[in-house]
Amino acid sequence: MAAGAMWGQAPAARPAPRAGMRFRPVSGLDAAAVERGRTVYESHCAFCHGANAKGGESGPDLIRSVTVLDDEKGDKIGAVVLNGRPDKGMPKFPLPPAQIADIAAFLHQKVFDAAQRSTYQVHNIVTGDAKAGEAYFNGAGKCASCHSPAGDLRGIAAKYDPPTLESRFLMPRVGGFEAMMSGQGPDPRTQTKVTVTLESGQKFTGRLDSIDDFNVSLTTAEGEYHSFARDGDRPKVLVEDPLQTHLDMLTRYTDTEIRNLTAYLVTLK
Amino acid sequence: MRCFSFLGAVLASAAGLWGQMLDPALLLKEPTTAWPTYNGDYSGRRFSPLDQINQANVGHLTLAWVSRFAPGAQGAIVGGEGPESTRNDALGFFGARIAATPLMVGGVLYFAMPDNAFAVDARTGRMLWHYFWKTKGGIHIGNRGVGMYGNWLFFETPDDYLVSLDARTGKERWHKQIADVKQEYFSTPAPVVIGNHVLVGTGGDSLDVPGFLEAHDPETGDVQWKWWTEPMKKGDPGAETWPDDYSMRHGGGMTWLPGTYDPELHLYYLGTGNPNPVETGASRKGDNLWTCSIVALNVDTGKIAWYYQASPHDTHDWDNVETPVLFDGVWQGKPRKLLAQAARNGYFFVLDRTNGEHLLTTPFISTLNWATGLNAKGQPVGDPKKEATIDGVLVSPSSNGATNWPPPSFDPQTGLFYVSANESFSVFFLSDLDPHPEGYGAAEKSAGSYGSSLKAIDYQTGRIVWQHKYPSEGGFGGPTGILTTAGRLLFTGDSSQNLIAFDPANGKILWHSRLAARVTNGPETYLLDGRQYLVVGAGDSLYAFTIEQ
Repeated sequence: MAAGAMWGQAPAARPAPRAGMRFRPVSGLDAAAVERGRTVYESHCAFCHGANAKGGESGPDLIRSVTVLDDEKGDKIGAVVLNGRPDKGMPKFPLPPAQIADIAAFLHQKVFDAAQRSTYQVHNIVTGDAKAGEAYFNGAGKCASCHSPAGDLRGIAAKYDPPTLESRFLMPRVGGFEAMMSGQGPDPRTQTKVTVTLESGQKFTGRLDSIDDFNVSLTTAEGEYHSFARDGDRPKVLVEDPLQTHLDMLTRYTDTEIRNLTAYLVTLK
Repeated sequence: MRCFSFLGAVLASAAGLWGQMLDPALLLKEPTTAWPTYNGDYSGRRFSPLDQINQANVGHLTLAWVSRFAPGAQGAIVGGEGPESTRNDALGFFGARIAATPLMVGGVLYFAMPDNAFAVDARTGRMLWHYFWKTKGGIHIGNRGVGMYGNWLFFETPDDYLVSLDARTGKERWHKQIADVKQEYFSTPAPVVIGNHVLVGTGGDSLDVPGFLEAHDPETGDVQWKWWTEPMKKGDPGAETWPDDYSMRHGGGMTWLPGTYDPELHLYYLGTGNPNPVETGASRKGDNLWTCSIVALNVDTGKIAWYYQASPHDTHDWDNVETPVLFDGVWQGKPRKLLAQAARNGYFFVLDRTNGEHLLTTPFISTLNWATGLNAKGQPVGDPKKEATIDGVLVSPSSNGATNWPPPSFDPQTGLFYVSANESFSVFFLSDLDPHPEGYGAAEKSAGSYGSSLKAIDYQTGRIVWQHKYPSEGGFGGPTGILTTAGRLLFTGDSSQNLIAFDPANGKILWHSRLAARVTNGPETYLLDGRQYLVVGAGDSLYAFTIEQ
């Protein structure tokens, strides 16, 4: 029923993101051992197995190697290094145990880097035409109707690296999974506004706290929380998302326009 | 929602036959007094012929019981090959989450969470036993549940064991390794039991291993046959769709979800996962059979009878494992044995399940932007400009897809196929620039979503007859499982923790109840002591609803 079940008390608790909570896995390997292992690998192994351990002309890929995957601290890799694989043309390498352990650490790090997608690095994404991006910003993209390089975007490129900057213009609201990953709270400028109009004509406007088919809740500018039961289109609920234009753009942009816009925005240091 | 004393059922439970073995004949019927397999029956329709709960009385649907389940070793029968640990491993990525559809046989519910299996009195929600598996590792993302043969239960673990338990006691009978967790395999499916075959799939996308389905003997656990999702060497059928042996042996195609079965045709229908490396096709030029396909396998031999590839040469992680739903319908005036799937790539497919003949392909989300059209076989033709580049491409749907694992439903009374859909966007950045990339090969950044909705699709035309867009603000969206019933009801969940009953004919909301977490599995229903129950998993709890009498 549409009765305005209100309790003008403390604002409803949004689940507070846990500060710094991150789900990025770590390999747990000793970084110094990995680096020492890289040196030993490059001088003894890379010639056959490739500089990146993905296999070369005469040696197999070591990252997907079952021997490497089964290995614990060099216990399987060591045997192959010390004994070689004479049947396959691999010579023996009489390396001391410490160096074998270092090679193992290096290879396990390579496996980790391949398998853990949340650690993947985005390379240079600034390949667009900054001039075309600027023209799009002021023209077809209509970005200039809300934003300006001298105003809200002043110094934006100093604040974010290019991939983050691009993400932020595609979808400025960091929510759900991404918010959990980054531990960031909501940006007040991106918060959705809602107006609830009761049958009496009484209106409540504020920040949208939650909405589903059965309830809508908001917090007014004064900090008062209100919650309303919904029954179809009663009471009237008007949701205004300040980012609606950004959402609409997702089906309009071409990839070239996105790249050009990124190339332009990275100049706003 | 009212709680009430359910004394009658508690008394009735004392007389119930606990641990009654599964009569195999039940598996060949529509589910009524049991829910004996993941989808209720082999068809994958998730349609129940029960109508005690119906449109006239659904407003009186009320809570019979709610029960929470704590994963972990405490108080459990403990097995497993992993180290001694009291660590609560099921509290993995999503926390304790019931993604399984519990089986209900003889008044007992059986389900699993990663590393954990439970038996529960279906009348009261009281736990009867709890089995805990000490893990060696593997990604603890979810478990779709258990399979049953007589008194034996089967479930899979994140470290890739098939474990068989005695349903009466929860004691382990045996366990068999099905894959190597160190190669980044981890197992989530619910085994499906057909005749004396326990069908077992696996998963794991991180390091380019090949997928497979294997049949195990329910008594001994021995492997009866194994079907690889890729050809194994040059010259084998399908090998022409890969550049070389090495790429097909590292070609992915995981078997994440239970399939469906037609007892007359003796064919098991299975959706296969994406090819590997996941988000770049540089080292695997070609269609990459039989990844991202619907395949029909002879259930006794594991030999492939036919296939239909929904995403040739996928580069967006769109596992095509969504339930291939079986029903008999009318196609252009003639009765036909059909198979329909709403695929993660955003397209709805209808095939003739006797031979795999393609009948229909239509998109079911509006934002889809990755294909240039359909080819003569009705397969989407991927736009090469939407494959990951160093500087990024904007793609819809995101890798999570237009839908995902939560089960859809087909209602023979309306003739409509129901799917929970998402209209999301992501940018795909090529990150592994080697000519032989590994793992995913690309980084993905979410770029927003138009939200989630429930869609009702006319299988004869692909037309969306109605859709309900869920209003929501923040939080996790994502699809939810669906159940339809002869009571002219559709049950599903939204992202705001509501369990909702819709009119399947028009999408009108008839009832809802707000739970303590969002619905995390496919709802099910059964008749027990003459009373119809609706059971749903939400987070770490099972909820049972019934009509107050």
